[in-house]
Amino acid sequence: MKKVSCGFVIAIIGGVTLPQNVAAMHIAEGLLPFNWAAFWFAVALPFFAWGLYRLNKRNLDDLSFKPLVGLMAAVVFIISCLPIPVPFAGTCSHPCGTGISGILIGPAISVVITAAALLIQALFMAHGGLSTLGADIVSMGVMGSFTGFLTFRALRSVNVNMAVAAFMAGLFADWATYFMTSVELAAGIRGEAAFLPLFWKVLIAFIPTQLPIGVLEGAMTAGMVMLLYKKRPDLLIKMRVIKAREVAVIGAVLIAVTFLFSGVAPVEASKWTGVDEAVIEKIAKEQGREPKEPLVNMEQGDLPLFIFLIAGAVGGFAAGYYWRVLIAGKGLPICSGQDEPAPETSGKIRGS
Amino acid sequence: MLLLEYYATDHWLSRIDARIKLLVTMIILVMVLSYQGVGFQLLVAAISLTLIVSMKIPWRLFLLRFSEPFLIVLVVFLLKIFFSGHDPLFSFDILGFQITGYREGLAEGIAISSRIMAAISLMAVLVYATPFPELMAALSWLKVPRGFIEVLLYAYRYIFVLFEEAMVIYHAQKNRLGYANFRNRLSSFGILTGSLILKAFEQSQTLSTAMVQRGYDGNMPLFQSRPFRSSEIFLSCLVVTVMGILWGI
Repeated sequence: MKKVSCGFVIAIIGGVTLPQNVAAMHIAEGLLPFNWAAFWFAVALPFFAWGLYRLNKRNLDDLSFKPLVGLMAAVVFIISCLPIPVPFAGTCSHPCGTGISGILIGPAISVVITAAALLIQALFMAHGGLSTLGADIVSMGVMGSFTGFLTFRALRSVNVNMAVAAFMAGLFADWATYFMTSVELAAGIRGEAAFLPLFWKVLIAFIPTQLPIGVLEGAMTAGMVMLLYKKRPDLLIKMRVIKAREVAVIGAVLIAVTFLFSGVAPVEASKWTGVDEAVIEKIAKEQGREPKEPLVNMEQGDLPLFIFLIAGAVGGFAAGYYWRVLIAGKGLPICSGQDEPAPETSGKIRGS
Repeated sequence: MLLLEYYATDHWLSRIDARIKLLVTMIILVMVLSYQGVGFQLLVAAISLTLIVSMKIPWRLFLLRFSEPFLIVLVVFLLKIFFSGHDPLFSFDILGFQITGYREGLAEGIAISSRIMAAISLMAVLVYATPFPELMAALSWLKVPRGFIEVLLYAYRYIFVLFEEAMVIYHAQKNRLGYANFRNRLSSFGILTGSLILKAFEQSQTLSTAMVQRGYDGNMPLFQSRPFRSSEIFLSCLVVTVMGILWGI
């Protein structure tokens, strides 16, 4: 009889129990002993303080920034609650969402966003906990956000395609989160046992769900970034994800390509006669109807130049007048507050 | 979303000041985490579960809240029993493999499981007896940075709005076979989450415009707590003292 291999039991634990757990990235309340819980709080604190400092600083310049951070926390909360199917594991899991917030808002403020989402989840859904909040902030907020941000920026700095960079950022953010969670779990529950063997066992137990979910998170991060890039590039510029120069370069390339093709087309076209000459004029000639001079000959003098000048002036004026509609999309209503629900600031309670 | 909305309005614990409930919960939580053994933790879990039952929490809500911690308890228990210790307790065969459970692992597994159960039950009591704005005001009183509390308030307020938005998009996608196969699901989910981020950007602009018109200067006013009552202070001191004595035994 063989002695049981570690892999077999891990496969049972990881394959049977963990895949059913839809919030596996959170370390449950009470799982870590007091010393480890305090240690992870101490690790998370400087990052959290830095994030708050950055948040308050940016809020001084832009009063809409704090509401934006709050809403991003709500988005991260919802993303990490929505189940998506995991191939091979035959179950559902959910992304972390910290990679995308790290890319969009910056890693330091993303730590604050993650902390807010985690605290609400810990209080109301028992995903994570108050005592394990520090550990969860380190794994999801610090590791997820910083890995996502740094991967994205590093790949973009060597001119990797934006979708590929976003995919890799999402992928590594997710895997880094689970790597750190494994470290925290193994350190917290090992007791008298050695750290490293237990760490590998926990990491292997995560693999059935977290390898594929990382790929899915990468694909979704790429999808989100590209959607924003197509629909609202101005937002990506505002959040300093891309530079205005990049949009200008892409625009210039498109214009250059248009001019290139418009230059090549007449040369190519000159080799071929058009349908007017090849068919209509030929048949007209056969019937004795020779072509006559046009009433206004556009090919003589500076008349075409003058017409193009007028068209350019009118077009430029129209484009300049409607630039907000063209560039920024839907404008903000001047007096939109009356239909907008005010944030909850009073002591109004939830009904049971 | 049901988990975010429930609050036991009629229970006597709900009438106690949120700051006192938060402080007492945190002190007992530290005791639970630092206790070397099982007895104190089982006692805390039993008291907390009794209080939850007395709040008449719906069973569905209870199971929703506790299902994840139960699974984590199971995973940790299995990891400990099969991988920790040297003294074999039991052994069985599966498909020719011999699986051994260890005595020390069982003891550690029970200790960790009881700690988790005590901690999550305790937190559940706090949350079921305290409305969110009061909890935020209590955190503010404990000198948690105001910027963070404001972010929490915005997030809590807009979770419901954005979740409703997400559900509208999800149902629209589903009705158009957006989740018919795996590739479609992935694409639809990407569009859904991207749309939520776009919505968050637009909503934050609209919200700040509306708030500035109402005098917002970058700081939100918070719920004002009433003065402490002497009976609440006495009760909290009594609870902490009794629990401290039990912890020391």
